[in-house]
Amino acid sequence: RQPLSPCVAGERLCSTEEATAGSGTYTRHGFIFSSLAGCLERKSEESELPVVSVVRDSESQLLPNVGAVVTCKVCSINSRFAKVHILYVGSTPLKSTFRGTIRREDIRATEKDKVEVYKSFRPSDIVLAKVISLGDAQSNYLLSTAENELGVVVARSEAGVQMVPISWCEMQCPRTHTKEFRKVARVQPQFLQT
Amino acid sequence: QYVPVKGDHVIGIVTAKAGDVFRLDVGGSEPASLSYLAFEGATKRNRPNVQVGDLIYGQFLVANKDMEPEIVCIDSSGKSSGMGVIGQDGFLFKVSLGLIRKLLAPKCEIIQELSQLYPFELVLGMNGRIWVKAKTVQQTLIVVNILEACEYMTAEQRKQALAKLSGN
Repeated sequence: RQPLSPCVAGERLCSTEEATAGSGTYTRHGFIFSSLAGCLERKSEESELPVVSVVRDSESQLLPNVGAVVTCKVCSINSRFAKVHILYVGSTPLKSTFRGTIRREDIRATEKDKVEVYKSFRPSDIVLAKVISLGDAQSNYLLSTAENELGVVVARSEAGVQMVPISWCEMQCPRTHTKEFRKVARVQPQFLQT
Repeated sequence: QYVPVKGDHVIGIVTAKAGDVFRLDVGGSEPASLSYLAFEGATKRNRPNVQVGDLIYGQFLVANKDMEPEIVCIDSSGKSSGMGVIGQDGFLFKVSLGLIRKLLAPKCEIIQELSQLYPFELVLGMNGRIWVKAKTVQQTLIVVNILEACEYMTAEQRKQALAKLSGN
């Protein structure tokens, strides 16, 4: 590999006769252009043409794909949807959080019209959700918790103490013993820590 | 300051119309929303006649610290039971929350004594707002002044003031 040099999106790197386009680049009219702002990387192969790619932050950003299970934190709720910040994709933490939306009809699989967002999530709950769409122009991923294994995993009660799940729809505060409604996730036993 | 509570009846002022929803100022930390379908006999074709600046008497459907408060002018059975747009004229003023609760107590002498003075219409909102309408502007203002002063007057002083007024 040759030393990295910075380049911006849209910069023309070289012609397709000199190298092959790698990740972070695209070809137009017989030339290779960069599609990211980052560092230019040129990998020389023995028999084939060198591969030209552009990398950012020397680590590729992990993006949530459709169908990926993500861990997110609820930032605000509404009577029609809940807005969340996506923190982890699978088990890898993200350097910058993405925004997601969980619509009221995607919270549960059954009895979708009787769902109340206030009885499923509250602000600052940690929720396991699945990506169903890459979202609209405001880059809000569309998420769903319509499965038994998805839903609230960590929540604090009104008293500020972490609650214990009692059923799929209720959690109890260990200090005040008050019950609160949440859409609770059925976490696999091997992931639970006592 | 007033904190919205589910089920409380309040007087709100319409500040904006946003699509199918009215924004109401209820004296809380954020404006409340009121759907145009939340009136008795309202359908998508039959819209209620509500303009910006109107007074609305309604109750809270949703009122918690995490969500925007929502008001409806209809009760659980679908009847308006006195709620809706408050009519033209009249006078809206603010008093303390404690006075409202005193006035709403089952046997409130203040209202009984005032009603013997002049006939008037009265709407009490739990958010500290009162709307009064009497036959003339003068009578309305007299009622307003008495209600505002009731905060600090003792029962004796109030009876004296009313006796003076009914004597005039």
